[in-house]
Amino acid sequence: MNLLTSLAIGVLFAAGIYQILRRNLIRAAIGLVLLSNAVNLFLFNVGAYNGTEAAYTTALSQISDPLPQALVLTAIVISAGGFAFVLSLLYVISTRYKTSDSDEVKGLKN
Amino acid sequence: MSGYILLLPFAVLTLGIFLALTLPKRGVFASMPRLGLLLSVFPLSFFILILYASSTIPSGKALTFSIPWIPSLGLYFSLYLDGLSTLFALLVTGIGTLVTIYTGYYFDDSHSSEPKNERRFFAYILLFMTAMLGLVLAGDLITLFLFWEGTSISSFLLISYKYKDETARKGAFKSLFITGGGGIALLAGFIFLINLSGNADFKTILASGDILRASPLYPVFFTLIAFGAFTKSAQFPAHIWLPEAMSAPTPASAFLHSATMVKAGIYLLARLNPAIGNTDLWFWTLSIFGLTTMLVGAYLGFKQNDLKPLLAYSTISQLGVLVALIGQDTEIAFKALVIGILAHALYKSALFMSAGIIDHETGTRDIRKLGGLRKQMPILFGIMGVAALSMAGLPPLFGFLAKETLLASASHPSLPPIVDNLFPLTTVIAGALLLAQAGLLVWGVFLGKPADEKHPPHGHDPKPGFWIAPAIPAVLSLAVGLLPEPAFLANFLADAAKAAYGDKVKVSLALWTGINVPLILSVVAILLGSLIFWQRERIRAWMMNFLPNVTANALFNGTVSGLDSLSRTATRLQGGQLRTYLRVMILSAVALVVLFSGLPGGVFIQNFEWNVEGLNGLRLFSLVLLTAAALVSVIAKRDLHAVIALGITGLGVAVWMALEPSPDVALVQIVVDILATVILILSLSLIPRRLRDRANELLHSRRDMARDAMIAVLAGAVVAGLTFTALNTRPRESVVSPFYAENAKPLTGAKDIVGAVVVDFRGTDTLIEILVFALAGLGIYTLLHYATRKRGERTYEPPDKTLKAHTPLGIQNLPTSPMLHTLAYIMLPLAFMIGIIHMMYGHDQPGDGFTAGVIISLAIAQWYMLFGYYETRRKLFWLNRNNMIVAGLTLALLNAFGGFVFGKGFFAPVDYGKMLGLSLPTGFALTNSFIFEVSIALTVMGAATLILDNLGHPREEDLEAEADLAAIEEAQ
Repeated sequence: MNLLTSLAIGVLFAAGIYQILRRNLIRAAIGLVLLSNAVNLFLFNVGAYNGTEAAYTTALSQISDPLPQALVLTAIVISAGGFAFVLSLLYVISTRYKTSDSDEVKGLKN
Repeated sequence: MSGYILLLPFAVLTLGIFLALTLPKRGVFASMPRLGLLLSVFPLSFFILILYASSTIPSGKALTFSIPWIPSLGLYFSLYLDGLSTLFALLVTGIGTLVTIYTGYYFDDSHSSEPKNERRFFAYILLFMTAMLGLVLAGDLITLFLFWEGTSISSFLLISYKYKDETARKGAFKSLFITGGGGIALLAGFIFLINLSGNADFKTILASGDILRASPLYPVFFTLIAFGAFTKSAQFPAHIWLPEAMSAPTPASAFLHSATMVKAGIYLLARLNPAIGNTDLWFWTLSIFGLTTMLVGAYLGFKQNDLKPLLAYSTISQLGVLVALIGQDTEIAFKALVIGILAHALYKSALFMSAGIIDHETGTRDIRKLGGLRKQMPILFGIMGVAALSMAGLPPLFGFLAKETLLASASHPSLPPIVDNLFPLTTVIAGALLLAQAGLLVWGVFLGKPADEKHPPHGHDPKPGFWIAPAIPAVLSLAVGLLPEPAFLANFLADAAKAAYGDKVKVSLALWTGINVPLILSVVAILLGSLIFWQRERIRAWMMNFLPNVTANALFNGTVSGLDSLSRTATRLQGGQLRTYLRVMILSAVALVVLFSGLPGGVFIQNFEWNVEGLNGLRLFSLVLLTAAALVSVIAKRDLHAVIALGITGLGVAVWMALEPSPDVALVQIVVDILATVILILSLSLIPRRLRDRANELLHSRRDMARDAMIAVLAGAVVAGLTFTALNTRPRESVVSPFYAENAKPLTGAKDIVGAVVVDFRGTDTLIEILVFALAGLGIYTLLHYATRKRGERTYEPPDKTLKAHTPLGIQNLPTSPMLHTLAYIMLPLAFMIGIIHMMYGHDQPGDGFTAGVIISLAIAQWYMLFGYYETRRKLFWLNRNNMIVAGLTLALLNAFGGFVFGKGFFAPVDYGKMLGLSLPTGFALTNSFIFEVSIALTVMGAATLILDNLGHPREEDLEAEADLAAIEEAQ
């Protein structure tokens, strides 16, 4: 199971990296979401316990580790806010530079 | 006497700064002199306070005060008052009082037609006074460093006071560059001292001199500390900043750059002398730098024509003397040190303030244009004459005594035989040059004839308030010399010298001590000085031609331009291609992980175990779903398909989370994933498809793709390896989680542990989290409204079309089906109900305020998609996103403080329902957690609506952009 989990996270991460290296900025934004999904899954999985029951005080058997869950919860929310901001940046870039190609965005260079 | 008294100056000086900036500009304190008089009360009262406080502490003891700052790091804020700090603190507050009065008259604008507002200057002067007082009263190295930097910064502000003048800006930069660089070295040296002696406070440091001197690191930290002190006290070759600092207004030059700040390095060396002094390295370094500085300052000063640089160079010379004296480490040297500090502070502040008056009254400071002013300005002639005689070291002034003790120290038999002639020789030469300079000052301004006899300078004595400030130190220079042995002063100076020397120092202030070596040397110096003054024209003319271009400025300019060209080279490395940066970053991160994680070293293989424990059909399904969808999002040709595939990946992740089992996170993941997909689709419609397609097509160089794929696979493989190792080697015991599990019910009343962690245990985190989310919304609003505006446009303000009814139009202005409209009408109230249930029972069930907010936002998003922007805004007019964000954040904060009022602290759980005796439905409790959930939901709803609103807003200029684009493509 561990092997499959890590392979899936690896695939997700590789897909994310490939996407952020593309010239189309929308694809790069998609890559960002894939990466944050991969990282969230990683954090989520390295909790101390593999529970058989959700983390409730009424649980009778081993519960899943609540700490990484709470952290990932926060991470999901923050990355959603950041993602929306990235998208509006892309819009600004497309109106300023009349392009969606990251190689043509060189305003900082000159 | 309690050490708390030492804190008083800092509190009250802050009040003074506040007053200087806020007192009404009309009425009683409209005039600058009156404001100066009012503000001078602050330093004067501390002068008296410190005088009183020092009289209560027995000789050789110190008054201390300390409060913990970051005790876990051993940091304290501590203050310390002994003989040495008293001497400096009295100088700071005493001259500070005079300078504050003087400043008022210097900037008096009541007669000018155009009143300028110069109150900022008072604020800076008081700011500096606070920092300088803190520096000399600091009780440990860290506190000292803090105030040390404070003086550098306030000095920068004062030098660049006339910031429109380029020389002022350059001078300010130079001084900050040099003293700031010294400050960094100083901090490094202090850290060595603290580590070696075990504590930062002076008691420990001064007591561990033997350990420090014996340490093999002694040369390292000594060099660092000496570098800091030398740059601050303008020792050769770092002296170059001081003459340029003369662009500061004269009150600042009189205060900072002669009497106080430049003596900070002297104070530091004297303070640390018992701990790190008295070694060969100490003696040679301080003597060589000190004596060189003394000669260079005296030589260069004689070349000057402007009064202020002339005085600045003689200050440099005097600072060199003081450094050399500390290096000698003999009783007589420390006697000469304290007398020298006091005498110099008195005559130099008087001279500077007089120079300011001359500049103010005649409009020039150039001695070639001045001359013959003794009849027009008799009072100033008297003041400056006395001060200049003291500077020249003539009897019966205080300066004579200072020179006598200096010469006694320079000819002391304890000096090593190699230099026993060199010391008196250099001292005599420098003394002669200083005497000639003093003559130049008085002769050039008051006695001689101006070079241009047709245009003699005009001026008259100013108001008494203006000349009283330089008069007081000048009179004191005379009084100390004339009064028969003022015992209290002698004892006071002896105390200061004792703190620096570490042993008893006998100080007598008698002028006449019989015919001895110092007296003979003094006579030689006076004769030589008179000779130089007599031949001044010839000598100055020769000096102007002798090596005119050799200055230490070349060193500074070389350093600065070297840094400049280094950064230019660094900039040239930047290609400006985002993707290149990303490749470098990713590959470097991969390399770092591979190098340091031990992955290739076999950790991976050691922990390799193949088991499929826990694998079931659903898990396999979620794994396949999310990886397949991720790959589809890579391969998909059209952006829309890639976005949909991304949405599916997110759902796959949610399924996995649900199987953990972890219903809360899964729920949030689902709603956020949907919201993100909606936002993504909205922004797809904002960026013209033509642009995106072009960018997609541009990629297809096979080499490029292969390289990126390789990078991606490499990164993915490393992450997979890391994850696998982490999963197999992670600790199976948690310290934190059991605490949450045990205390969720008793402390917060929640069944849902994750919910309890988010809303109660880590409530502050969540508060910040919703703040970030709200800020993201506001950031998007700002970006889209301001950054997209065109040149010349004020803001992007679309015409208000929200009031009249519109045909419902969906994305890309396509009409939508009425059936879907009915669905949207039903969905919104339904979403509200689900949201409210989530908030009410969030403590016992999956779901929380955040989920509630997003679910409602999704229903609203549906409206945007089906009805279009204008129609949605018209129908949902009550949806005011700004008010929602404000209300949500305010409620969250108030609710957190409610814990203070009704509970045990910030965010402490309070059950208002129980408190008020309400009967509520089973399972629901009106706690502050519930209120927090409501405020989270409000904020999230507001921010999400703001995002949807801005990204879903139809753009008026879209047509224009399309036309632009067509033109560009045609041109290509």
